Amino acid sequence: MVFDTEKSNMPFEVRDCALITRMAGIDTAINLRELRERVAVCPVECLFHHFCETQIRPTFDDPEFSNDFAVWSARNLRDRVLAERLGVINPYTFGNLQELREAVLEIIDDHLSMLPYIPWVPRGEDFRFMAATTVVFNTGKFLEAPQDLLDALPQFSHSSIYYHFIEARRRTENRTDDFSAWLAGFGKGCEDLINVLGKIDFYYLPLRVLKETIISEASLQRERVGHDR
Amino acid sequence: MTGRTLLDYQAVVGEPAMSQLRQLAHELAGATVVHVNSTREGGGVAEILNWLVPLMNELGLIASWEVIEGNEAFFNTTKAFHNGLQGNALALPQSMIDAYEETVATNAERMRPLLEEADFVFIHDPQPAFLLELCPYRKGRWIWRCHIDVSHPNRKVWNYLKSKVSAYDSSIFSMPDFAQPLNHPQVIVAPSIDPLSEKNRELSAAEIDSTLARFGISRDLPILTQISRFDRFKDPVGVIEAFAMLNSSVDAQLVLAGGGATDDPEGAVVFEEVQDAAKGDDRITLLNLPPDSHRDINALQRASTIVIQKSLQEGFGLTVTEAMWKGKPVIGGNVGGIRLQVYNHHTGYLVNTPEGAALRIRELLRQPEKIHQMGATAKKFVTDNFLLTRHLREYLTLMLGHRRGMKDHLIAV
Repeated sequence: MVFDTEKSNMPFEVRDCALITRMAGIDTAINLRELRERVAVCPVECLFHHFCETQIRPTFDDPEFSNDFAVWSARNLRDRVLAERLGVINPYTFGNLQELREAVLEIIDDHLSMLPYIPWVPRGEDFRFMAATTVVFNTGKFLEAPQDLLDALPQFSHSSIYYHFIEARRRTENRTDDFSAWLAGFGKGCEDLINVLGKIDFYYLPLRVLKETIISEASLQRERVGHDR
Repeated sequence: MTGRTLLDYQAVVGEPAMSQLRQLAHELAGATVVHVNSTREGGGVAEILNWLVPLMNELGLIASWEVIEGNEAFFNTTKAFHNGLQGNALALPQSMIDAYEETVATNAERMRPLLEEADFVFIHDPQPAFLLELCPYRKGRWIWRCHIDVSHPNRKVWNYLKSKVSAYDSSIFSMPDFAQPLNHPQVIVAPSIDPLSEKNRELSAAEIDSTLARFGISRDLPILTQISRFDRFKDPVGVIEAFAMLNSSVDAQLVLAGGGATDDPEGAVVFEEVQDAAKGDDRITLLNLPPDSHRDINALQRASTIVIQKSLQEGFGLTVTEAMWKGKPVIGGNVGGIRLQVYNHHTGYLVNTPEGAALRIRELLRQPEKIHQMGATAKKFVTDNFLLTRHLREYLTLMLGHRRGMKDHLIAV
């Protein structure tokens, strides 16, 4: 055993998820003013999809921007200034999705107030509002101790990493990832590992890179614990 | 049916992806699923059902495939539907509607017990869409799978079809751009390729060489290839213009291969235009291939240095997916589904003009390491997103979502 576990804990149930995207039932936006109007009234699920589910959706891991509004601004509106301002938003820093909505509207309003015209896109390049349904299922795998997590991580699917490390922040009381929540149950022996996981800048990373980062950071922490003995 | 099993695909996509499918399907074990379309052979839908139905069965569902049988009047009508849904102007007289509804009603008599008892019914494209109304005691979920781009339909045709599909529990479109507003969930399932099909399976170097030799193509110069029907929307003449702009300082050869020049009157005209444009340049090879030339196309794509798909209008663009699967960077037209696959500097380049294509061809040919790197990224991107295993996963996810009403954002099963 590498980590001192002063308390026993429930096993960690490894789950996985799959996503199916759907049209949000909102008119498309053909210019920035329409985008602003639609963002103001769209369901929060829609905002969540365009900001948070981009990592798990079948799409290219865009190295430039992590949310669809920034990507549309850059690629279709060809407005790099707006794209950068929207692209830097980390949705997980907001208390809730309504606050995120207000932040997006503030940026668009500010940008619109400085433009002498309303930027628009050609037909066919309109912004299409989407949402998704995520189905969560059991993998049949359980982890008993912290070191089991480190050993099992390489076998986690990317969608399982998404569910436990990212999506968890939306459904857990302390807005943390499932791994940290579970490790906390073992007491002080896992505090450093929890801190390491907490420092990972997860939002801007494609899931493949995020998984590698979690594994390498957790492995380094295991080595540190080993050295300190 | 293809005869290929989950284990065959596991060797391609890996154990985690296959394990996900098994776990999802476990929750659907024993569910009865019926697919209905209008033909058992020929066309993209039949190709999909040929692998989808056996794989669903192997995963523990009870899947079957029914085909609508019709007469000439019926298929003339559904062909008119197809053209109308893609925006062509046409009349839709009552006699055509009668021919359509009578044929579907006759088929419903035969299929009704199976369809009404099924847990899930997938109706593919417009041909069988009227079946739902004819199965009033249906107990399962009915899903309309639209494989066609209905973004700019003939309103008369769409209004008729809309009256038939509105009562479905959901519909599936291939891209958000292809959808029309409906009063039920419209989900998006992108097309996919079968990595083990004749068109996409690995080929030996000897077979590739022998195919090239048969077509009189040497390996002495880098091969630029566009595989497409001879159709103006694929802009084969624009590709030749781009090739001409490379001038003699760039050593390369161009292959334009596809069908449509013999079975389609307009294709024959376009092929003549292409022949005229290529006249005098012996570095250009034109191949008018029969529709079943899957293995030859596979070999040509694999032998290519760069694949071009300079379309002016495109659906999803599965030829792009096929080329990327073979590790080739793609220089593609900045239209339709090509935009979802080609990412500038990563998997290829999007271009708008012959000049743009010439610029990017020149750039890539001078940097062989970039060709290799982009090709590897392209293959990884297709492996993760556009193989049939992802397609199957989304069908299973949709079915599980339906079991829980498709209302919540997060559904635990």
